[in-house]
Amino acid sequence: MKDIARQGMSIKVESMDMLNIQIKMEAHASATYLAMASWCDQNGFFTSAKFFHKQAEEEREHMMKIFNFLIDAGGSPISPEITNINHDYASIVDVFESTLDHEIAVTKSIHAIVLKSREVGDIATERFLDWFVMEQVEEENTIRDILDMISVTGTEGVGLQMIDDHVGNWIE
Amino acid sequence: MKAIYKSQFYALFQSQQERCFYIDFGQKTVRASFCQLLALRQKVLSIEIEDHFDSDLNQHGFELLQLCNKEHLFILNTHEVLDLKQLIQNGFVQLGISSTEEILMA
Ligand SMILES: [Fe+2]
Repeated sequence: MKDIARQGMSIKVESMDMLNIQIKMEAHASATYLAMASWCDQNGFFTSAKFFHKQAEEEREHMMKIFNFLIDAGGSPISPEITNINHDYASIVDVFESTLDHEIAVTKSIHAIVLKSREVGDIATERFLDWFVMEQVEEENTIRDILDMISVTGTEGVGLQMIDDHVGNWIE
Repeated sequence: MKAIYKSQFYALFQSQQERCFYIDFGQKTVRASFCQLLALRQKVLSIEIEDHFDSDLNQHGFELLQLCNKEHLFILNTHEVLDLKQLIQNGFVQLGISSTEEILMA
């Protein structure tokens, strides 16, 4: 039997399903960071606002990377529906702590896809995700460093404004 | 034409010459390219069967299914939806692009 389905697609459907969920997650992250940029701007943290603008763009690039991989692999990428974007934060510390939680959730999700693709013998998907695994280490590290800087600076007096200025060090 | 998988109500075939698939829905047979088969899979597997048991979410227990870029329209009841999910999951395993575990779960 000629393998028409295999000729049509280079990856396993299970991997495709999980990558479509990941597309949605990256889009959700992008929208969340845009909401954070809005919060920072409205609360006078203009450098942090810039930082989150850039993060939002990066997350969209992540989404497109997966989207294009699915196209290259002959799969069917789904344009995601995004709802439930939080715009309320108690403080700038709350913003960055939520960011770290968000990045950790993304890391876990990527790792789950790596393990699943390995389980179904989908080497192409597993290798494709190498870049994302390393990217997540960097993302988590950046936010951790910012949280460390925040705890060293302290939030008393001019601390908050100093924190915002320092965030500029993490904008490339 | 080669039979890939038969469920209780439906059957999936592959045509080597035409490089496409046929799905026998009983009252009509639908021709689908591989991409259309992927789209059909997406639609069928994303049907929330739990909604069929909630009179607020799905009052009559029917599902409208549009296939092949709006070329076909089917109205399926709960049994037919479950059977079609079965056909899709097992069919893709037979086609060699889905892991065999899914067949046990289905
Ligand atoms: Fe990301």
